[in-house]
Amino acid sequence: MAAEETHHVAKTFMDHLPVLQVVIPLFAAPIIVFIGKRSLAWPIAFAASAAAFVISCILLIQVLDGGFISYHVGGWAPPLGIEYRIDAANALVLALISGIGTVVLPYAYESVKAEIPKKNHTLFYACFMLCFTGLLGMVATGDAFNVFVFLEISSLSTYVLVAQGANHNKRALTAAYDYLIMGTIGATFFIIGLAMLYMATGTLNMADLADRIADEGTNRTIRAAFAFIVVGMGLKVAIYPLHHWLPNAYTFAPSAVSVFLAATATKAAIYVLLRFMFSVFNPSFVFEEWTLYIVFIPFSLLAMFAASFVAVFQTNIKRMLAYSSIAQIGYMLLGIAMLNATGLSATLVHLVNHGVTKAALFMGVGAMMLYSGSAFFNNLNGLGRKMPLTGAAMVASGLSLIGVPGTAGFISKWVLVQAAFENGWWIIAIAIMLSSLLAVIYVWRMFEVLYLTAPDPQSTAKEAPLAMLVPMWVLAIACIWFGFDTELTLGSARVAADGLLAGSAGMAH
Amino acid sequence: MAKTPKDDPANYPALGRWLMFLDKKKNVDRIVYGLYALCTALFLADFLYYKKVYLDLEKFPGFYALYGFFMCAALVVCAKLMRRYLMRSEDYYAPHDVEAEEYPEDGLDRESVND
Amino acid sequence: MIDTFPPFLIFFIGAAILPLIPQGNLRSAISLIFPVISAWLIWTMPEGLHLSMAFVGLDITLLRVDKLATIFGLIFSLAAFLSLLYAWHVRDTVQQVAALLYAGSAIGAVFAGDLITLFFFWEGTAIASVFLIWARGTEGAYHTGMRYLIMQIASGVILIAGAALYFRTTGNVEFTSMSDLFAAGDIGTILIFFAFGIKCAFPLLHNWLQDSYPAATITGTVILSSFTTKLAVYSLARGFPGTEILIYIGAVMTLFPIFYAVIENDLRRVLAYSLNNQLGFMVVGVGIGTELALNGTAAHAFAHILYKSLLFMSVGAVLFRTGTAKGSELGGLYKTMPLTMIFCVVGAASISAFPLFSGFISKSLILSAAAHDHYYVIWAILLFASAGVFHHSGIKIPYFVFFAHDSGLRPKEAPWNMLLAMGLTAFLCIAIGAYPAPLYSLLPYDVDYVPYTTTHVITQLQLLFFSALAFTVLMRTGIYPPELKSINLDTDWTYRKAGPSVIHWFSWVIGSFYTWLTKLMSKTTERTIKRLYRSHGPEGQMARSWPTGAMVLSIAVLLGATLFINFLV
Repeated sequence: MAAEETHHVAKTFMDHLPVLQVVIPLFAAPIIVFIGKRSLAWPIAFAASAAAFVISCILLIQVLDGGFISYHVGGWAPPLGIEYRIDAANALVLALISGIGTVVLPYAYESVKAEIPKKNHTLFYACFMLCFTGLLGMVATGDAFNVFVFLEISSLSTYVLVAQGANHNKRALTAAYDYLIMGTIGATFFIIGLAMLYMATGTLNMADLADRIADEGTNRTIRAAFAFIVVGMGLKVAIYPLHHWLPNAYTFAPSAVSVFLAATATKAAIYVLLRFMFSVFNPSFVFEEWTLYIVFIPFSLLAMFAASFVAVFQTNIKRMLAYSSIAQIGYMLLGIAMLNATGLSATLVHLVNHGVTKAALFMGVGAMMLYSGSAFFNNLNGLGRKMPLTGAAMVASGLSLIGVPGTAGFISKWVLVQAAFENGWWIIAIAIMLSSLLAVIYVWRMFEVLYLTAPDPQSTAKEAPLAMLVPMWVLAIACIWFGFDTELTLGSARVAADGLLAGSAGMAH
Repeated sequence: MAKTPKDDPANYPALGRWLMFLDKKKNVDRIVYGLYALCTALFLADFLYYKKVYLDLEKFPGFYALYGFFMCAALVVCAKLMRRYLMRSEDYYAPHDVEAEEYPEDGLDRESVND
Repeated sequence: MIDTFPPFLIFFIGAAILPLIPQGNLRSAISLIFPVISAWLIWTMPEGLHLSMAFVGLDITLLRVDKLATIFGLIFSLAAFLSLLYAWHVRDTVQQVAALLYAGSAIGAVFAGDLITLFFFWEGTAIASVFLIWARGTEGAYHTGMRYLIMQIASGVILIAGAALYFRTTGNVEFTSMSDLFAAGDIGTILIFFAFGIKCAFPLLHNWLQDSYPAATITGTVILSSFTTKLAVYSLARGFPGTEILIYIGAVMTLFPIFYAVIENDLRRVLAYSLNNQLGFMVVGVGIGTELALNGTAAHAFAHILYKSLLFMSVGAVLFRTGTAKGSELGGLYKTMPLTMIFCVVGAASISAFPLFSGFISKSLILSAAAHDHYYVIWAILLFASAGVFHHSGIKIPYFVFFAHDSGLRPKEAPWNMLLAMGLTAFLCIAIGAYPAPLYSLLPYDVDYVPYTTTHVITQLQLLFFSALAFTVLMRTGIYPPELKSINLDTDWTYRKAGPSVIHWFSWVIGSFYTWLTKLMSKTTERTIKRLYRSHGPEGQMARSWPTGAMVLSIAVLLGATLFINFLV
């Protein structure tokens, strides 16, 4: 039966898109290594990521009406075969990841030349492709074990990418090491959780899992599996007390890696978390669980304030942005914990908006580091005036980080506050606004350093190269664009949220 | 501007020069005595004609004279008392008042006869 | 058609074309033409209602001609002519245009047949006239103008509010006697009364007058003195004749300003107080409301505009030549400004109602009306006020300016245009006083009053000369209060000092509470930030990079907690 159906499903090139977007970068990596020519590494990587981006856009358009695409790898039908499954929720995240990847690569070209020894360039782009593949695969797949595989692909390559910062600062090595330990533990917890699920249900296909959990109800094994998966994936998400790997990794990684990780890695993990919570364990199961209320809400509030306060006092702008990311992840978790469609849309839309915003900011810092050599505030004095276009892009995205009306950041915070009011949680709504005030403070500190202090007279800083400016401005304009045109982001987020809340019904064949 | 040596009555208008007799205290006294005489005459006049008035009070000889004199005296005394409570320096309301200001020169044409 | 050409339009046309004429004698000469045309139009206009039309559903009448309106229209035109002649030397377009618009608005208001038209001209006088104050160009004049404008506009706003309520009650906006409605306590009518009261400088609402007139330019004050308040008197005569409360209001109005006038130093403000006092006589006349009384009001308004202008002109001429109008700074000017002195004395004699001067034949109408209707107390007050007027306007003004101690100032005689304006006005004052018949024939009702009787002449002379005697005695004994560089508090103190200081006090209380609170908060905030920095700063517990072992431990603890919750709850 499987063979017939599979032929029926995948006949044309278009039908192979779900797998192609993972496979193209996957094969790009070994090709880069085999060719081994430094001059060809970047073009291949860029071509692969651009192709993936185009594909993900096509996919997103196809599923925007609320439907889904099921692709059976090798023609083997699920639950036996591996299924790639695209719906609004992961198509949105796929578009974000591949889009950021495509924008980051031109930026990386200059930045990598400046920060990484030449002999490593080829390997760097190969690793980058692998990480890119891993993140896309994690999101695209409909098979639980496949998630683990891609998670490991992305994680292992990320450790290498972070370690590349060692040329600049040796602490990148300890950062990568810590990330490796933590990431591995997280992945281990995740695989333990999967094993338990397999033990309890006998399947690893997500849709199948959802059906069986829905049919047979829960038991202790499944509950334990839930805890392991949430904590394991939560580690990759950098849920507040599990965030310790993040600041160092973001701070000491090469600029291009910081940009890419900040915009995509945690976002993909959040998507996986959502997928498991709502589609595998269905919402009614999640509703019964107090995990959300007892763990998520306090920790996300803690993240929103504690991490913001830390960001306020930071003296290193990259570190400040890293802590700000932890705080922003708090918002996303809060959106999940609201357990309503608006809250989930807020999470998804913030996932995209914050990805774009943070990527633009890290790009700006990376461009300045070309001249300043470090991301400490006192080395960046007055650079906004010496690099007006870079500075302006940082101002635009900084405003989006605060959530000023007319920027993308405002939209997501607004939807989040609405969700809080829908639940009658006005204290939470006030907390969201208060923590936004903290964002005002740390973003203002950044503006102050960039514009209101006298530049170092010996500084040789000039405007960043065009290859960096264009990606930066693409993202900065996106920050503003998504503040006005919410059709694409909020629209698809709403469709995705509805799909997720439909639970295992949304996964039905 | 105190009296300067330049102050020359020859520069005054003819009418002004003629009126200069008022400068002498003796002449002023004469006028005052004239006023006393006039007042006496007016008071006495009350007895010389038929007073065609509305009120009995008015018929009282010299009513208007006495009323005028005493009421005016009372007026001045009362006003003088009011000063105690109401008088303030010229710049009391300054700068929101014209009292403390000079009149702007462009609206004036100060000319002295001695110039 | 020409017989119903609205006279106010002449002034507005004049205001429009005057700026086109080159500044100079030609422009000054042409400006004199408009009041003449206006007077001729008013003189020839047939009685009745003209230019009636519908305006947003209301029946309005631009021109209502009757004897009461005509006499005010004529004297306003005459006053405009004399003021413009007096202002011949002024080369300020703003003042010239404002004067014409002001006079035009006042005349328009007098002929307004309905409350809506009245309102527009009412506000027109307010807005046009304030430029005569601002034209002085000093900071004090600016603030004074602002206060003046607020009061005048407020009066207009109250008027239109009253008119709206009046329309609701009566279904029309005709401007006619509202005395009955007022007596019945109709709120709209009361508002209209109140609006008139502000412009008429009723006691406690009066202080805008003494505040603003001395602040205007030399010529501006002369123009201001003629129109606004007399328009209010006309409006009262038209709208509230025979309203008894006006008698008492008027009596108080005649009374209290004379006390202020005695001790006031700024002679233009003395004149403003005496203007207020003269308005009191007219208001009493309106309050009595008999034909005799209303005739008295109209006649007195006519005479008053002339002699008050004359007094403001003479003091203005002195100010023009010396730069000051303060009693304490002046004296002895009779030697070099004898003509101005004589004109001033004519004005003083007129306001004091000496026989053969205009006040004598107009004020006595009102006094007689009061006595005739048995308002004896009122009559006594008016008599006292008459004596008081003589005291401060009749004696004080000429005495302290032109006589008294020699100030040493030797200013030149006033310029020809001022002398001519003053001379004409003085002539009119004496002409009216000596031969009142033409004025009497203009009055709204037939007159059978004979001012020159032996009794009237002798009693009036007694009153005046014994007042002069009192002045002389007090002067010679040194009891008379000297002129001092000072000001006196009046009701404006409430809104110029008391109000602001109450607000200031409140803002101080709130401000110091706020300071205390912010200090407390900033101290607390400082402490909090310090504490936060200790925990969240770069070296703080929250921001420190944990050792790998500690990180792993935290994961284990969280997993344990999550499992625990999952199993228990």
